[in-house]
Amino acid sequence: MALLAQIVVNGVLLGGLYGLMGLGMGLVWGVLNIVNLAHGALIMLGGYAVYYLYTGAGVDPFAALPLAMLAMFALGYALQRWLLGLVIRSAQLNTLLVTFGLDVLLSYLAQLAFSADLRTINPPYAGSNFALGPVTVPLAPLAAFGVALLLAAGLQAFLVRSRTGRAIRATAQNLTAARLHGVNPKRVYALTFGLGAALAGAAGGLYGVVSQLTPYVGVTLTARSFVVAILGGLDNPLGVIAGGVVLGVAEAATALYLDPTYVNVISFGMLVVVLVLRPSRIFERA
Amino acid sequence: MRRLALAAAVALLASVPWMGNETLVEFGINALLLATLAQAWNVIGGFTGYASFGNSVFYGLGTYGTAIAMAQLHLPFAAGLGLGAAMAAACALVLGVPILRLRGPYFAIATLGLSAAMAAIFSNLEIAGKNIGLILPLFRGERLFYELSLALLVATTATVAWVASSRFGAGLVAIRENEEAAQVMGVDTTRYKVAALAIAAVFSAVAGGIHAYWITFIDPASAFDSTLNVKMVIMAVFGGPGTVLGPVVGAFTLSAVSELLASRLSTVAAGFYGLVVVLAVVFMPRGLLDLGRGLRRDGWRYFAQNVRRYRL
Amino acid sequence: MRSTHTLLMAAALLLAGPVRAEDSITLGAAVQLTGALANTGRYYRDGYQLAVDQINAKGGVAVGGKKLRLALKLYDSQSDVNLGVRQYVQLVRQDKVNFLLGPFASNDALDDSSVAEKYQIPMVQGGGASSQIFSRGYRYVFGTLPPAEDYFASTIAALGKLTPKARTVALVSADDSFDVSVAKGTRQLVAAAGLELVVDKQYPEHNAEFSSILSLIKSKDPDVILWSGHEPQALNFIRQAKTLGVSPKLLYSFTVGVPTADFRKALGKDANYACGMTPWLPSKARRDDWFGDGEAFAAQYHQRFGYAPDYHAASAVADVEAFAKAIEAAGSLDPGKVRDALARVDFASLYGRVKFGANGQIAMPQTVIQIQDDKVVPIFTDTFVGKPLFPLPPWDKR
Repeated sequence: MALLAQIVVNGVLLGGLYGLMGLGMGLVWGVLNIVNLAHGALIMLGGYAVYYLYTGAGVDPFAALPLAMLAMFALGYALQRWLLGLVIRSAQLNTLLVTFGLDVLLSYLAQLAFSADLRTINPPYAGSNFALGPVTVPLAPLAAFGVALLLAAGLQAFLVRSRTGRAIRATAQNLTAARLHGVNPKRVYALTFGLGAALAGAAGGLYGVVSQLTPYVGVTLTARSFVVAILGGLDNPLGVIAGGVVLGVAEAATALYLDPTYVNVISFGMLVVVLVLRPSRIFERA
Repeated sequence: MRRLALAAAVALLASVPWMGNETLVEFGINALLLATLAQAWNVIGGFTGYASFGNSVFYGLGTYGTAIAMAQLHLPFAAGLGLGAAMAAACALVLGVPILRLRGPYFAIATLGLSAAMAAIFSNLEIAGKNIGLILPLFRGERLFYELSLALLVATTATVAWVASSRFGAGLVAIRENEEAAQVMGVDTTRYKVAALAIAAVFSAVAGGIHAYWITFIDPASAFDSTLNVKMVIMAVFGGPGTVLGPVVGAFTLSAVSELLASRLSTVAAGFYGLVVVLAVVFMPRGLLDLGRGLRRDGWRYFAQNVRRYRL
Repeated sequence: MRSTHTLLMAAALLLAGPVRAEDSITLGAAVQLTGALANTGRYYRDGYQLAVDQINAKGGVAVGGKKLRLALKLYDSQSDVNLGVRQYVQLVRQDKVNFLLGPFASNDALDDSSVAEKYQIPMVQGGGASSQIFSRGYRYVFGTLPPAEDYFASTIAALGKLTPKARTVALVSADDSFDVSVAKGTRQLVAAAGLELVVDKQYPEHNAEFSSILSLIKSKDPDVILWSGHEPQALNFIRQAKTLGVSPKLLYSFTVGVPTADFRKALGKDANYACGMTPWLPSKARRDDWFGDGEAFAAQYHQRFGYAPDYHAASAVADVEAFAKAIEAAGSLDPGKVRDALARVDFASLYGRVKFGANGQIAMPQTVIQIQDDKVVPIFTDTFVGKPLFPLPPWDKR
């Protein structure tokens, strides 16, 4: 029983981070209709940004998150404005291919810039934990979970309340109508992609604290982000975090009761089943 | 004239193993198999408009069909190819119905998920050697592998040519252009789509089987490799999806580019390939065949026009 | 026809390969310089290069009264097994290299070595230890990593001589070729030593998440954890063990990571107490015909490449040296004769004694090592050569 409780805690905390990864992907997908295969590479870059801020400038990783997010926002904005924006109206497959090429390119450049060494963001408190009855609660993953929730709630509030956020949602629903209401789609699209990249950057920094960075971590993280974005639905930030938690707990339980080698059967099987059985869940747009 | 040129091209390709350059033969086997995969993808992705990222599932089933038959059951190669093709066809028929109800990116993602799940399933199967894979007997017959791959590509291309000119193909194109309208016009969309997927499945599986015997060792990661699937898509899209020869041209061109990069530039190759893909899509989003027409018509302005047409 | 045109162009470019000079011996390899395995692949690139340069600096290889220089032809396989195989074929058929060196990792070595066998060009590879590679009855493939099954043999022998006595073991292993071999061998070793296996979990090769396995281990509270896999995973296992407060009562040991500088740097002081094994340590006792000894080699390597070598690099050097010895013994560059000479080589090197068994694989004892105070300390060979920090203190007491 204690073991089960521990597994649930592990899964939930990890799931929050998964959720944050899915958040940026879901936002870009939902608004721009771009399935961003370079999302994992953006997560990786964000991780390295936090890594260098911490090891180079001594900035605490959690304090470095906003800086990394800002840098990633700028990168994302530029990518959409001057690269993805150039192909966005051709066949959807083409944007997919551009993001694939981007993923290959970014991973390669990252190896040139950062080398293939394994990096961890390892502040003194990274390994700390506290006991909650029979359950050990690890501190860093708990903080990461908190940040993920905070960012999701912030994004939700931004999309619902702010003027720009409403413009983003309007664009997602109907580009032409939004244009008629004076929305500049170039700016809104670039903003949205920038936001997606910033969220990826935050996820990367947290991932570096609880796991590790190499220039090639992106691919598996992209796949996880897909699953989460689909499980959570594309339109609801807190829903995406919930999707991440479902995935995290399912994976943790599979690893314990079946075998870790079955984790991908479960998570990707879940993805296919959700898509096939409940298409309405994701087709709905808020 | 066109037929004659094609026959000459095939004859030329068939003579490659006798030219005395074995690197070219190895390159050829790889390029021909990739072209087959791109061409098979063309049936479901190009004609029907369903961007499948699950064709690597069929390729992988073909790979494992051959490997299981030869390494575990000690059957001949031909039986392996048959087993692999049968497994892939069965998979397409069973999974095709639910999966093909999904549209656009949802179909793409579902098939991507399928391929990841399949890799994990095979890495737990005893008869498939679990995750450490299977070793096939060594066979020194590069010419045979080459000619088999060529024959497979010719068969696949002939099938696509038939699709392009048949009622069946017209139905597929109708589905691509407007699925509801196609249904109203009396096209049995489910049957058409599943049939298209099954055709793609069988050819991809045979390609996988040939590759398995040639490379002698397979494991789930190499059999169900989603980057291989992305490659098929890129090659088909690069050449011109929904055309008869486009995917073949695209596959040959991109294989040559990436092979040359890998052997000339070596370490820079990985990054360069990504750059080539990005630039190709930005400047020639409608593929190589369109590039040919466009360049003749507009010269270099063709590239600028593309960007202008598709940007936001 | 555009397709014909493209193909001809590609053909022309591919045909124009470089021509090998007649007064040198070319060794070829396709190594992972980019991609997921680049982290360890570089040891092979640098090891091969240093060995070739050093042998040339000492006058080259004597063949039939003539001194020939060694040359190295290296491709980047981008951690793509299929590309690697094609590059090996290219090395053999187009670049016409004389002999082949191997890639890193058992899965790659499995595929690539079949090219050597197919074209009957000898390959000495120092990157694959799985028994799968050597159980195919191949004649042209040799390996300088000791068998995966025995990686934990010295560790378990050391446990038998330490007090308090270990009774229970948790075995955690990846599901790739090398680690499956390790796990198979370790289960037998554990049983033979009268230890009880209380956890035996297998995880997918590129897995990053160990919290479930760690929680299970915590609930069984074993004396020893034996862990097998790749370096990135070892790193995550230790970090997550710390965050979940999981520590075995006596000792934990890892098949990879512990000897490498990169690993210690990434973990900082959390790397301390981790045990591992290595067939090689930079030692003065290991004499070498070209480098002097193991320590001199390590210094030269570190100076040239800016990081310390580990057993991967030493194994790579041994591969090149094995060719040099075999070619001199054969007195010829004939692949068949050099193959026969390789089967008979027996020489002392900075890596250790190089002598291949009937299946082509080397046999070598593994030295148990432990990270103490950010340094790798040799602990046990068949007797204790250093003092282990034993038993392992829990995380909050370190």
